[in-house]
Amino acid sequence: MTNIENMIICRCEEVTYGQLLSTANEHKCSARELKLRTRAGMGFCGGRTCRVSIDKMIEHVKPNITPGDIPLKYQPPVRPVTFGTVGEIK
Amino acid sequence: MSRILDHPVFGKIHERELVSFQFDEKTYQAYKDETIAAALLANGVRKLRVHEESGTPRGIYCNIGHCMECRVTVNGQANTRACLTVVEQGMIVESGKQLPNIIKRMVEQR
Amino acid sequence: MRDVIVIGAGPAGLAGAISCAANGLLVTVLDEFMKPGGRLLGQLHQEPSGEWWNGIKEAERLHQEANKLAVDIRCGISVYNLEQEGHHWHVHTNTGRLTARFVLVATGAAEYPIPVPGWTLPGVMSIGAAQVMTNVHRVQVGKKGIIIGANILAFAILNELQLAGINIDRIVLPEKTPISGKAAEPEEIMKSLLQAAHLAPSPLLRFGGRFMKHDWIRKLGLTFFPKNGVKVNGTPLQLRKAAVEIIGKDQVEGVRVADTDVNGMIIPGSETIYEADFVCIAGGLYPLAELAAVAGCPFQYVPELGGHVPCHSEIMETPLEGLFVAGNITGIESGKIAMAQGNVAGLSIAKQAGKGTGTIDQQLQQAVQNIRNVRQNAAIQFNPEIDKGRKKMKELWKEHYAKGDEKFHKIG
Repeated sequence: MTNIENMIICRCEEVTYGQLLSTANEHKCSARELKLRTRAGMGFCGGRTCRVSIDKMIEHVKPNITPGDIPLKYQPPVRPVTFGTVGEIK
Repeated sequence: MSRILDHPVFGKIHERELVSFQFDEKTYQAYKDETIAAALLANGVRKLRVHEESGTPRGIYCNIGHCMECRVTVNGQANTRACLTVVEQGMIVESGKQLPNIIKRMVEQR
Repeated sequence: MRDVIVIGAGPAGLAGAISCAANGLLVTVLDEFMKPGGRLLGQLHQEPSGEWWNGIKEAERLHQEANKLAVDIRCGISVYNLEQEGHHWHVHTNTGRLTARFVLVATGAAEYPIPVPGWTLPGVMSIGAAQVMTNVHRVQVGKKGIIIGANILAFAILNELQLAGINIDRIVLPEKTPISGKAAEPEEIMKSLLQAAHLAPSPLLRFGGRFMKHDWIRKLGLTFFPKNGVKVNGTPLQLRKAAVEIIGKDQVEGVRVADTDVNGMIIPGSETIYEADFVCIAGGLYPLAELAAVAGCPFQYVPELGGHVPCHSEIMETPLEGLFVAGNITGIESGKIAMAQGNVAGLSIAKQAGKGTGTIDQQLQQAVQNIRNVRQNAAIQFNPEIDKGRKKMKELWKEHYAKGDEKFHKIG
C-alpha cells in the first residue's frame, strides 16, 4: 500500500500531496493561488525545494498548461535575513 | 559516523587542530574549519531540530545552504544554517524546538 | 571603487573574475560557502584518458590564479537581493550592500527534489549533499545507503561514494506520481541510459546501446531486465523497483520498496523493506536563477537546459545593462563548460567596460568557440540534447534582444 496522499511536498510548511491536489482541484488555481491557499512554498526556504514540485502538480491538474506557462516568480529576500540586516540599508 | 581519513585519490587528511563545542548542552569535538553539520554527523548526530509546529525530526537535506532544513541556534542567533557555519572553540549550538502556534490555535477556536 | 561583482565562486564565477581582473578590472567575488570552488569541490571522476578530474584541485588552481590578480574573494556571504539603479547594480548581502557597474550572476544549480513519503526524516538527503559531506568534509554519510533515482548525476556520485568506502546497497526508482513523472518510468530511464551508453553502468546496457534503439526491443529488454538489477560497480541498479516509503522513528531505518511493471506501476503485494541508515534522493539539477529573477531579467523555459533560464546571448550578456550570467544558471552542464562560459562572460564585461587590448573581439570569439570545443569533448553530458537547448536560446536572443550592430553585421 502506498501513502502518497500524506506525502509531504513542502517540507517547511508540511503541506501534503493530498492537500495540494484537493485544493488545486477544488479551486482550479494558478501556482500562485495554490501557494497562497496552502502556504506551500511560503516557508523558510522560500520554495527552493518544493517550487518545481508544485509547478508539476499544476501541470497535472490543468491539462492545457505547459511548464513554460508557469511564471518564474521570486521575491527578495531570496535568502533569509534578519530584520536588522534589511533595516540597516538606507 | 566515522571520518574518511584516507582516500584512494584525495589521499590522507593531515593532522588538524581540534576544537570543542556544545550541542544541546552536550560537549562534542570537531576539527577546526569543519561545519557544525559535518562535526555533528561525525559524532553520530543526525537530528538537528524538530519542525516548529509538528515536532517531526529533521536533519541536513541539501548540505549547501539552499533548503534551510539544518537551521540551528548558534551562540543565541536563531535560524543559522549548520551546513554553512564553521565550528569555533566554545560555540554553543542548540537544536530547533517545537513552538506553540498561538495564532493558529486562536483561529481554530473561533 | 570596484568595477565588477561576481555572485558565486564556482567554476563560472572564478573563471569570470579571472578574465575580468586580467583585463584590468577590479573584481569582488561573493559566495555563501566557507571556501571558494562552488560545486567543483567534491567532483571526482576518471576521464576517458584515465586521468582523474579532481574538482578540489581545479578549485585551488582557480583560487590561486584569482589571488595573483588581486581578486577580492569573500566567502560566507549570502546575497539576498539584486537591484539596478541608473547605471549601477546594488548587491544586498547579509553583511551590507555592495555596488558596481557590472554584475556576473554565477549561482549554479539546485537539485530537483523527488518527494517520497518519509523523506523529511534525518538521514534522507539530496545526492549532492552526500557528495559534499563525503568529498569536501570527509565525513561518512552512513554505513549503508539507498539511492532513489537513476540519472547521470546519481551514477557519478555513486562512484565517488564507493571510492570513499561507503556502501550503497542499491539504486531504485521513485514511485510513479505526477511529480516524479519520467524519473519513475523504467523505459524512460532505460532510454536515457542508452543515450549515454558510452558511460552506461553495465555491459548489458553498453551492449544494448547498439541495438535497443527500437521501442519494442527496449520493452523486451525491460521485461527480461534481471529482477535483482544489473550491477553498477557492484551496486545493483533496480529499474523495476520503486521506493514507496522511507521508514524510521527519529532517523532513517530503511526503505519500503515495491516491484513495478515496465511502466513503473506498482505490483500489489510485492513490497519488501530494505535496511539502510541513509537515503540519497537523486532528482537531477535545475538552474538556480532566483537572483536573476529578482533583478528583473526575462526568462525562458528550455527543458534541454534544465528548466527556466535567464535570457542570454552567446557572449553571456542578459537584456539588462551590466548584468551577465555564466555557468549552470544558463543550463545544466559540466564544470568545464562553466569555466569556459565564465571566461567568455569576463571578456564580455571587459569589452563593455572599454578594457582589454585591440584583440578583445578576437579573444571573445575564440572563447565562444572554446565552449563548443569543450562541449564536444565532454566525458559527462547531463542532457544529451544540450545543443538543441543552446540553439533555442541563441535564436531567442537573436529574435528579441540582439542589438543593432549584430543585426547590421548579419545583413552585411
